[in-house]
Amino acid sequence: MRSTMAETKPDGSNVEVAYTPSTRDRIPGGIAVAAFLAAFVGTFTLAVVNVFTVASKDFNAWVYGVGKLWMPGAAGIGPYSGKETLALVGWLGSWIILHFVLRKKELEVGRWFVAFLVGLGIATTLIWPPVYEHLAELIAGH
Amino acid sequence: MDATHDTRDMREASTGSLIAVVVIMIASALAFTFMTAPFEKLLGPGGGALAAAIHGTMAFLYLFVGTIGLYLGWRLLTGHIRAFADLQLLSVVAATFSLLAICFGNWLYIYYRMPIPESPRSYFVKNMPPVHAVFFEFKEFGALFTLPLAVAAAFILWRYGVQVVERKWLRYSVGVLMGLAFFYLVVAFGLGAAVTKLRPA
Repeated sequence: MRSTMAETKPDGSNVEVAYTPSTRDRIPGGIAVAAFLAAFVGTFTLAVVNVFTVASKDFNAWVYGVGKLWMPGAAGIGPYSGKETLALVGWLGSWIILHFVLRKKELEVGRWFVAFLVGLGIATTLIWPPVYEHLAELIAGH
Repeated sequence: MDATHDTRDMREASTGSLIAVVVIMIASALAFTFMTAPFEKLLGPGGGALAAAIHGTMAFLYLFVGTIGLYLGWRLLTGHIRAFADLQLLSVVAATFSLLAICFGNWLYIYYRMPIPESPRSYFVKNMPPVHAVFFEFKEFGALFTLPLAVAAAFILWRYGVQVVERKWLRYSVGVLMGLAFFYLVVAFGLGAAVTKLRPA
């Protein structure tokens, strides 16, 4: 890996070609882990909430009510507003908590990132309509 | 002459001049359009034409920035990044366009799902049920995935700075996060374009 910050051109002037090596203290890996785990929590929250809105009309109505609490135009986009709201709360809320819990911990970023990828894959599977409709039927007992 | 201090031919363009160029170019294009073209024809006849135009523009700009970000993310992942500062800046721009595309997408969604027979959703449910039930539903959720992924990548790049370049798994994480954000963007963009082509809002 090249870490030099300047290279001399043939005409003698300097040009920046790479980056300046960090002079700061090593930042714990927990901060990065908190950031991408929170992204997983947000996407997974969206997927799970969506499954249960399809499974239960009462829950769907509650989710719609959550969206109508604050989102402009919520009446026009229906329960989707509440799903977005809960995903946003899950994402940012978990990020705040995880950040303060993990910010001084030197975690293995690689191991946690692989776990994140698995989780994101599950969340993606859960938002595929044939999958969540089938799950909703199972939950509703049809 | 001391070459180290000879910066006459290396001075960067000022931010003000760059903004001025962009503003002048956009203003010229808009002025030309308004003077020569029927604007309502450009937008289309539907009630959601303006929302669709803005949402589409944001999504297109995000696709443009995301493509460059994907390349720089790949260079980062493989350890050959040279334009690290550009990647930092681009990651924030990409996250911002993701947010804007989602916000304007919400506005457009109002027109899409209007409870009238002419709305796109009513049309699809009646004539092509899978278009709404599978593709649009997947698009509307998948598009939301871009925001936390893009923000996480931008946050790590800014919080860790060049330590990202120096630490293998941070490089991998950011490169893959940017790649994943681009993947969900392309899926949402493609499905959105197809839906618009079939039945504009």
